[in-house]
Amino acid sequence: MDRTDVGALVQSAVDGDAAAWKALVEGLSPLVWSVVRAHRLSDADGHEVYQTAWFRFAQHLGRIREPDKAGSWLASTTRHECLKVIKSAKRLTPTDDPQLLDRVSEDRTPEQSVLDSEEAAAQSERVRFLWQEFEALGERCRQLLRVLIASPPPSYQEVSAALGIAVGSIGPMRQRCLRRLRARLIARGAL
Amino acid sequence: MRDDEAGGSGELFDGGPFDRGTADEDAAEQGRTEDELRQAAAILDPVPPELRRIAVEAYALHDLDARIAELTFDSLVDAIPVRGVADPPRMLTFHTGELTVDVEVTPHGLMGQLLPPQEASIEVLSGPQAGARLTADDLGRFIGDPPPAGPFALRLRTGDETVVTEWLRA
Repeated sequence: MDRTDVGALVQSAVDGDAAAWKALVEGLSPLVWSVVRAHRLSDADGHEVYQTAWFRFAQHLGRIREPDKAGSWLASTTRHECLKVIKSAKRLTPTDDPQLLDRVSEDRTPEQSVLDSEEAAAQSERVRFLWQEFEALGERCRQLLRVLIASPPPSYQEVSAALGIAVGSIGPMRQRCLRRLRARLIARGAL
Repeated sequence: MRDDEAGGSGELFDGGPFDRGTADEDAAEQGRTEDELRQAAAILDPVPPELRRIAVEAYALHDLDARIAELTFDSLVDAIPVRGVADPPRMLTFHTGELTVDVEVTPHGLMGQLLPPQEASIEVLSGPQAGARLTADDLGRFIGDPPPAGPFALRLRTGDETVVTEWLRA
């Protein structure tokens, strides 16, 4: 999301414009969700972290020093809540979730229903290949790419806040990870 | 499997038979792969609709009149674990101005102390809806059921002001 837009929407929301808040949710919730998913929390923990981040954001609205950096604020808040979950060992659940792909296919989104139509079957297959190879990347690459592919694409500042890595290292790591993903896809004959 | 360290498969692309030459082409191909992956994420791992709805409704939680009591101590982060204690209570401290709120959460309940000691009516929030109501006695002590799973906050009404603790997960 464009930073000047974010700053203006935050200001409008502070002034009582519920539509501006809704636009912030539309524009930034994929980023918050990507941070949750990058940290591989269980569904229950992930949902709670997501809610906590938004509740806090609503609570602090109007007190955020740099409204145009609200995306980074949310990303950073989400990351800290994720780290707390991970630190609290009793809540930690195994990260390898073999049911993930199956479960995803049960949660039918409108887009997925379209994919399930016959003419889109080949594309659906390709999307699954791509996602499987992405999931099988090393942890650091999987984490970085999961945040980078939020939609709309986050800024490097937001990625930095989301993962606690320096802005300057994001570009080179991104290249490296995408190169690796492409190599895996080529090896599988999917490129 | 972690292939971060191995770095093997990446070599295919660095001068191997698949090297297309210019860095620009590489960048363009990488951009396409990233876009495809972004579409895949939107299809296979979207924000759950109920979470989106909850975030929209969270707008009701913005309250410019209440003061925020910031979390200044969280045993989950700041305390050294005690060996042999399997399930230690969660100790939280919130501050705003002169007011300190100490809270202890266990599976059995929630206990708290206001400093300086004073009476207050307290609401245990778990979202925009009304929450359970507690009362702090004249010594500033309060006790209640454990907060429901998920994020929670306390809204305290003391004599002259309203204070809300920062949202967190119990």
